[in-house]
Amino acid sequence: MKSIFLLQLQRLRREPLMVLSMLGMTFIFVFFLGGFKTYGQLDVPVYLDQSMNEEEQDALLAKLNESESYVFTETDQKTAEKQVALGDAAFAMKGMSDNYRMLTAADDPNQVLVDQYVKQIYVEKLRLKEAEQATGDADYRSKVEAALVNAPITLTASTAEGESTSGGYSQRNHFLFGMTLFFSIYTIIFSLSKVAEEKRTGTWNRVILSPVKKLHLYIGHLAYSFMIGFLQIVFIFSVFRYGFDYEIGDNYGMILVAVACYTFAVVALGMLLLGLVKSLEQLNALVPIISVSMAMIGGAYWPIEAVSNNVILGISKVVPVTYGMEALKGISLGQSMSTLAQPLAILVVIGVLCMGIGINLMERKV
Amino acid sequence: MLSSFFYTLKEINQTVSKMALKGEYAVLETTNLKKMFKKNVAVSDVNLYLDKGESVGLLGPNGAGKSTAISMISSLVKPTAGDVTWHGKSVVKDPNVIRMYLGVVPQDIALYKELTAVENLRFFGRIYGLKGKALESQMANVLEIVGLTERKNELVKHYSGGMQRRINIAVALLHEPEIIIMDEPTVGIDPQSRNYILEMVQKLNQEKGMTVLYTSHYMEEVERLCDRIYIMDHGKVIASGTKQELTSILSSEETIWIELDRSYPDLAAELNEMEGVLRVTETDNGIKLITPKNSRLLGSIFQAAERQQVQITSLNVQVPTLEDVFLHLTGRKLRD
Ligand SMILES: Nc1ncnc2c1ncn2[C@@H]1O[C@H](COP(=O)(O)OP(=O)(O)O)[C@@H](O)[C@H]1O
Ligand SMILES: [Mg+2]
Repeated sequence: MKSIFLLQLQRLRREPLMVLSMLGMTFIFVFFLGGFKTYGQLDVPVYLDQSMNEEEQDALLAKLNESESYVFTETDQKTAEKQVALGDAAFAMKGMSDNYRMLTAADDPNQVLVDQYVKQIYVEKLRLKEAEQATGDADYRSKVEAALVNAPITLTASTAEGESTSGGYSQRNHFLFGMTLFFSIYTIIFSLSKVAEEKRTGTWNRVILSPVKKLHLYIGHLAYSFMIGFLQIVFIFSVFRYGFDYEIGDNYGMILVAVACYTFAVVALGMLLLGLVKSLEQLNALVPIISVSMAMIGGAYWPIEAVSNNVILGISKVVPVTYGMEALKGISLGQSMSTLAQPLAILVVIGVLCMGIGINLMERKV
Repeated sequence: MLSSFFYTLKEINQTVSKMALKGEYAVLETTNLKKMFKKNVAVSDVNLYLDKGESVGLLGPNGAGKSTAISMISSLVKPTAGDVTWHGKSVVKDPNVIRMYLGVVPQDIALYKELTAVENLRFFGRIYGLKGKALESQMANVLEIVGLTERKNELVKHYSGGMQRRINIAVALLHEPEIIIMDEPTVGIDPQSRNYILEMVQKLNQEKGMTVLYTSHYMEEVERLCDRIYIMDHGKVIASGTKQELTSILSSEETIWIELDRSYPDLAAELNEMEGVLRVTETDNGIKLITPKNSRLLGSIFQAAERQQVQITSLNVQVPTLEDVFLHLTGRKLRD
């Protein structure tokens, strides 16, 4: 068993390209998608109408910027129009005293959210104005505002690109988790595909004929691909945590447990695929299809919360990526052990099932 | 009471196999060995045996079922029916009875090509439980046998085809097996390497007393190496025995080789009609006739050549080869 494991390491040292390129790809994609900008905040250019005086303008801007989800930046009409036309901003807002307009070039899912948010502010503003006029109390507004600070109900806005309540789960984290889990599928299954390769070249049979037990041969291979996958994920997380200050949560022990459960499930899934395919070529063709669709369905590309199709939601319930994302997100948000237990347990169950079926299928082949 | 009865039975059994070890059983034997892949019969009713120190050949064209038979013998594949025994013990029931004593050289190069020869040997040695000095000296031993000591630190993928074949054999020799089973170990390599391997096998058999089961579709190889030969075709053993026994099947026949400057189908057709000719086969540069012994056909052959205006470059009357035996039994050539 140890020999089998060490042999795979030795082979990796000679041909490390696949694992290194998966590492590289993860870094590129995480940077590309989530690294440079402060995500979770949406920039909205605003230009203000002359119907408001300076004081009113400042008040409106301050009010708009109370949300942590959006950054409203004041600009002039020309710049705003240009930004929208060129696609630098998805939309811009024109603020008037009693009304507002949204300037859009293309459909954007966030526009609805922003629109709602702005509308709410205006409604509030108009209501206060009416009340002010009705009561004749010039201080009415500040009284209400003071009361609102301790309001019994507050509204939390969220963008379609990820919840962004009080500095929590950001889009950057989402890309880090998603891309890392996604590319690790390749590393893990391709590492495990050495089994198929060995069956083809005949080295598998040579080992079978030796006194090495078949169980140990399997464990050697499984342990190797588990270790490669696990280390890859942990390495990437460490780099982004310590190198780029990603806030992935403080419970490192729990992160390791979650990564281990996820890696185990994917290794087992690889075993199932190995049992299903007839050749190494089939496996190589299948891995990208499986990993991309799992990543899509399991919410590695976009949050599962953005999906409303029941079929896809149903499928996502059997995909390891779903639970890996759920667990990592939970840990980064500081969720309790009992909440995390469920996704982790499901990962282990998926793993055990796939492993059992996979090895059975493998052994049934001549 | 009951258990002691079974115990007695077990004892009797053990006595039986001890008797067997004293020489009642062949070293290796197959009985009615059969393998089906879905509905295809790959091997059927193969009965063969090897005695200690014997060198036995398994000769047959591609697809004859040689590799499948070997896989069952070496305990890799379970037979659909029949049994394989090692010193009288069933390999099918317990593969471990044979594995430590068996070296298998697979038909394909079953090595980690991105590693060096030494690294391959070290790995395979380890999984056979060799370590430390014993492992190193065994590695040196087999490298010497296959003549790769000088180049042991090169990557296997940089080796020539012949060298890969040799290291493929070396791996099977590491744990000093009693019997070595080789599946077409000379396919696709240059004549020099091939000769080296054949000499090596001969030495292992004659000097080290290793029992050899050698598979090939080259009849020259088994003729040269093997004491006894089994000829396989379509999954069945169609003939077996020493080379003399096999060729005596054809002792009433002889082969006439007519060498020509190119192929002449018309001449072949005319010869085929000739009285006394049993079989005509065309080759690239001539025609092969099988005729009854002493048939005195040479005159008629020359006349036919004259009529067809064909230049005969040489003419040869041959005693039968295994190739002829195969041709006689199946109507086909060994290599097509
Ligand atoms: N794993 C397999 N599945 C299906 N058919 C097989 C398999 N292995 C061999 N065969 C078939 O069995 C026959 C014998 O093959 P094989 O034993 O490889 O012959 P040889 O080694 O003499 O060339 C062939 O017809 C081959 O196609
Ligand atoms: Mg073969």
